[in-house]
Amino acid sequence: MVLHGLFLGLPLAALDIRTLPQQIVNGLLNGSIYALIALGYTMVYGILKLINFAHGEVFMLGAYTSLFVSWAFGFTPNATVEPQTQVWYLLVMIVASMTVSGLAGVLIERFAYRPLRNQPRIASLITAIGMSMLLQYGGQLFLPNSPPPNIDAMINPYRGNVNITLVKSNENLVAAMKSAEQTKLTADSAWDAQKKLEENSFYPSAKGQALQDAAQKADRDYIEAQGKYNNSGVSILMPVGRIITTVVTFILMGVLSYLILFTKRGRAMRAVSHDFDSAALMGINVNSIVTFTFILGSTLAGAAAMMDATLYQPGLQINTFFGLLPGVKAFVAAVIGGIGNVPGAVVGGLLMGVIESLVGWAGYTSWQDAAAFVVLIVVLLVRPNGLFGSTAAEKV
Amino acid sequence: MVASPPVSKSNPVAKSLVSGILSAVGCVALAFLVQYISGQFLSSYANGLVFQAATFVTLAVSLNIVNGITGQFSIGHYAFFQIGAYTTGALSLLFWKKFQGAANVPMQEDIWIVLMMFFGIITSAFAGWIVGLPSLRLRGDYLAIVTLGFGEIIRISAENFTFMGGATGTKIAPEKTVVWLAWLLAFAAIGLSRNLLKSVHGLAFLSVREDEIAATAMGVNITRTKVAAFVIGSAFAGAAGVLYAHQQTFISPDLFKMDGSFIVLTMVIFGGTGSITGSALAGASLFYLPEALRELPPVPFASLVGIVLGLIATIGALKRYSDQSHAKTSVKAATMIGIIVVGIVFMAILGKLLSFVPSISAHAPIQGSQLRLVVFAVTLIVLMLFRPQGVFAHHEFSWKWLRSVLARVLPKQKEGLSS
Amino acid sequence: MSQLVLDKATIKFGGLTAVNQVCFELEQGMIFGLIGPNGAGKTTCFNLITGLYKPTSGSITFDGHDLSQYPTYQIAALGISRTFQNIRLFGSLTVLENVMLGTYLRKESSLASALLHGGRSIGDTSRKREFATNLLNVLGLGDLLHVRSRDLPYGKQRRVEIARAMATNPKLLLLDEPAAGMNPQEKVALMEDVKRLRNEFGKTILVIEHDMKFVMNLCEQIVVLDHGEEIARGLPAEVKANPKVIAAYLGE
Repeated sequence: MVLHGLFLGLPLAALDIRTLPQQIVNGLLNGSIYALIALGYTMVYGILKLINFAHGEVFMLGAYTSLFVSWAFGFTPNATVEPQTQVWYLLVMIVASMTVSGLAGVLIERFAYRPLRNQPRIASLITAIGMSMLLQYGGQLFLPNSPPPNIDAMINPYRGNVNITLVKSNENLVAAMKSAEQTKLTADSAWDAQKKLEENSFYPSAKGQALQDAAQKADRDYIEAQGKYNNSGVSILMPVGRIITTVVTFILMGVLSYLILFTKRGRAMRAVSHDFDSAALMGINVNSIVTFTFILGSTLAGAAAMMDATLYQPGLQINTFFGLLPGVKAFVAAVIGGIGNVPGAVVGGLLMGVIESLVGWAGYTSWQDAAAFVVLIVVLLVRPNGLFGSTAAEKV
Repeated sequence: MVASPPVSKSNPVAKSLVSGILSAVGCVALAFLVQYISGQFLSSYANGLVFQAATFVTLAVSLNIVNGITGQFSIGHYAFFQIGAYTTGALSLLFWKKFQGAANVPMQEDIWIVLMMFFGIITSAFAGWIVGLPSLRLRGDYLAIVTLGFGEIIRISAENFTFMGGATGTKIAPEKTVVWLAWLLAFAAIGLSRNLLKSVHGLAFLSVREDEIAATAMGVNITRTKVAAFVIGSAFAGAAGVLYAHQQTFISPDLFKMDGSFIVLTMVIFGGTGSITGSALAGASLFYLPEALRELPPVPFASLVGIVLGLIATIGALKRYSDQSHAKTSVKAATMIGIIVVGIVFMAILGKLLSFVPSISAHAPIQGSQLRLVVFAVTLIVLMLFRPQGVFAHHEFSWKWLRSVLARVLPKQKEGLSS
Repeated sequence: MSQLVLDKATIKFGGLTAVNQVCFELEQGMIFGLIGPNGAGKTTCFNLITGLYKPTSGSITFDGHDLSQYPTYQIAALGISRTFQNIRLFGSLTVLENVMLGTYLRKESSLASALLHGGRSIGDTSRKREFATNLLNVLGLGDLLHVRSRDLPYGKQRRVEIARAMATNPKLLLLDEPAAGMNPQEKVALMEDVKRLRNEFGKTILVIEHDMKFVMNLCEQIVVLDHGEEIARGLPAEVKANPKVIAAYLGE
C-alpha cells in the first residue's frame, strides 16, 4: 500500500465487472492492428532470425503516406472547401501506404541487412536499431508533425457506432429515472422563476436558497438514477471504423495465409525459414525470397498504418515516433505467439490488445505502455518460445 | 619436459602489487589535478564538459564490461544511470538538509555526494542483479529487448513516481559538479576492467562471450559470470548517475530516454567491443558530438537534403567497391578516399541545385541540436557496414605496444641519420 | 573400481529415443572406445555424461556421484572434461588463454581480489599462466602460445582443445572424434599423445572415433552403439568380429 501511495495512489478496488466485456472487445479490435504489424516481425524473424527493429518505422512511413495522399485529395488542414469523402479515396490511400511501406522495407533490407548477412546476428541487430533511430530522428527533419485536425476527423466517413446490448437495462429503473427527471424539471423551473424575481439582490433570500438547494439536489438525483439505469445493463459499443479495420485485417491475413500455404513462393518461404543454407542448396533463390518476405510484412504494416491513422477514433497525431509504441507492442505480440509462428502472431496481437485494455480497465492507464514491456519480460522468462513456438535445441 | 628457469614467485606479485597501489594513488592525484586545472583555468561551461567526458567514459567502459567482454548484448544501460540519479534524488530530498545542519565539516557537500554514490552503487547493482538473472535463459537478441524493456519500465516508473516529481522531475541538492570524483570514477572503471582482463577471472568472462557451451564444459559458472558482469557494469553506471544528478541539479525522466542507451552503445561499438581503451577514448571524444552540434549554425534545408542523398550514394559506392575490389590496401584506401571526395563535391552541388527548388528553399533551416541522434545513428550504421569490430577492435593500449611502435619508428630515423 | 557407471541411461527427445538403456562401466586408467555409425547416439552419451542433457531414466554415476544432480560446470569440477565433435575453442583468444581457461576451475582467488588487483589474484593468475605454459610445452604446442586460436590449422586446433581439457586436471577425459580430419601421421602422433595421457598422467579416457584402425589400436575395451542402443561390448578383437557390428556399419 505504501508503494501505491508513492505512485498515483490508485486503489485497485473500483473495478466494475460490467465494463469488462466492452474492454475485451476494445482490446480485440485494437489488437487487429498489432496482429498485422506482428506478422511482419514474425515472418522476418522466421526467415532471417533477425528482429527488424525498423519495422515500426516502416509502419510510420505508411501512416505518413496516408497523410500525404489525403492532402492530395484536398483534405489539407487549411482547405477552404471541405471535400466529400469517397470510398475510393480510402482505397487509394491504403494501396499507396502499402506500396510505400513495402518499398521502404525492401530498401532497408537491401542496404542495411543484406550486407551483414554473414556477420554474427548481433551485427544485424545493432544495425536494425541504428536504422530505427535514423528513421525516427532523421525523419523528424523532413516530415512534418501532422497538424490538427487529424486525418480521422477529416476523412473518416465511418463515424457511427454499433451498439450491442448484452444485458438489457433494468426496466424497473426507467420509472424511477423518469420520476426523478420530472422532479428535476419542476425544481429547475421553480428556481429559475425565483431567480428572475431576485435578479437584483446580491444574496438569495431564504426562500430562494431553499429552491436553489432543491434544484441542485434534484439534478444530482436524476444523474444518479440515470447512472443506475445505464449500469444495470451491459452493452458493447463498437466504432464502425474499428470494425472495418478488423474485417480488413482478417481479409489480409487470409490472403497472406493463402500465399504462404498454397503458392510455390510460400513453400519456398517456409523452406528458407526452416533452414536457410539447405534451402539455398536446394536451388531456392534465397535473396528473392527474403525480399518477398519483407514485401509481405511491410505491406501489411502499411495497411495497418493507413487504417490506424484514418479509421481509428479518436484520431491520432502523426509524427515520426508514431511507429515506436505500436512497433514494440506488436513485437511483444509476436513473441507471445511464438516468434516465427504466423498464426501465433495473430493470436498474440489480439491478446496484446486485450491485455492493454485490461490494464487500462484496472485503472493503470499511465502504465499501459509499460505493460507491453512487462508482458514481454514475463513471457520471455516463463515461456520464451511463446504460445505456439517450439523448442529447438542447439546441436552440440 | 622443458625445464623452466627458477622463478621467485613472490617477486612478480610484489612488484605487481606495488605498481597497482602506485597507480591507484596516481589516479587519485590525477583526478584532483584535473579538477584543479579545470576549475581554475576553464570557464564553467568547459568545466562542465570535462565532467561530462568523465561521465561518458565511465558509462562506455562499464557497458563494455557487459557487452564487449562478456558478450551480453545490453541496450538498457541508461536505466542504471537513471537509478543512480534517482537514488541520490530521493535520499537527498529526504536527508540532505538534516545532514547539512548536523555535520558541519569542510567539504561537506563532497562527503554527502560520496555517501550518495555508495547508495547509488547498491541500488543499481541490485537492479543489475535483477536484470542479469533472467539473462541466463535468453539468447542474444532477446536479451537486448529485455534490457531495452527494463530501461523503459524504469523510465515510465519514474514518470509515475510522484514523490520525485513524476514526469516533471525534481530539484537536487547539493548542487555541485564534482569533477575529481567523476574522473576518479572513470579511472576506477578503466582500472577494474583492466584488472579483470589481466586475471584468470577475466578469461572466464571472455569465454562466456566466445562459446558458452565450451565454457560451461570447462567449469565456468555461466550464470554467475553473466550476472557478475551486469552487476559490475550497472554499479558503475549508477555511481555515474549520482554524480550526474548533482551536476544537473534538476532531474526528470526526460533526461533518461532510450536515446542515452543508444549513444553509449554507439560509443562502445565505435571504440571496439571488448577494448577498454577503445571504449574510454570513444566516450571521451564522442560525448562532445551533441554539444558540438548544438553550436552549429542552422543548416539550410537544401544542403541537408543534398548531404543525405549524397551520403547514401557515397556509402553505397564505398561499400560496393570495398566488397568487390581485391586491390592492394594502399590502392583501396586511395580509391576510397577518392570516392569520398567525389561524394562531398556531389553533396555540395546537389545542395546548391536543390536550393533552387522553391518548396525546399522555403523550408526552415535545421538546428544542429536536432541532428544529434541522426549523427549517432548514421555513425553506427556506417560502423556496422565497414568496420563492425570498431576502431580499436580487440586491441588495448599497453606500455609494451607503445614501446614496439617506438621501436619500429626510431631505428628508421637512426638509419636516416647515418646514411 | 569403477569410476564411471552408466546404468540403463536413457534419453528421449519428444518421440525420439536417442540413447536407450545404455550400460557400461569405466575403470580408472582405462582407454575406452565408443563407436557406432553416424547418429548412433555417441555424442549424445557424452552430453549426458557431461550434464548438457539430463537422462530421462537410468543413471550415470561418477566416483559415486549421481551426475543428474549436478549442473555441467560442477560436473567439470568433479573431474570430467571433454573435447567437442565440432571444435569449440575460444576463437579470438590465444592458445595460451584458451588453455589457461582450463585452469579456471581450480582458481584460488576471488573475483573481488581480481578486480581490485589484489595479491591473491595476481599470484594465482601467474601460477595458472605458468601451469598452462608448461602443459603446452609438454604437449609440444609451446611455439603456438600467443597465436590466436582461430588462426590455427585444424589439426593444431584439435590438439589445443585437448590441451585445454587437460588443463582442468580431470580424472576422466572424453574425446569426441579427436582424429577427425587428420592425416595418417597426425593420427599416429595423436595416438601416442592419448597413450601418454593415460600412462604419464593417469587419466581415464573415453574416445568416440570413426577410424577403426585408430580405435582398435588404442582402446582396451569398446562399446558399440547403433540407433541409441548397445549392440556389442568387449575387447577390440571380439567387437571387430561381431556380426551385428559388421552389419551396423556395412548394412545388411
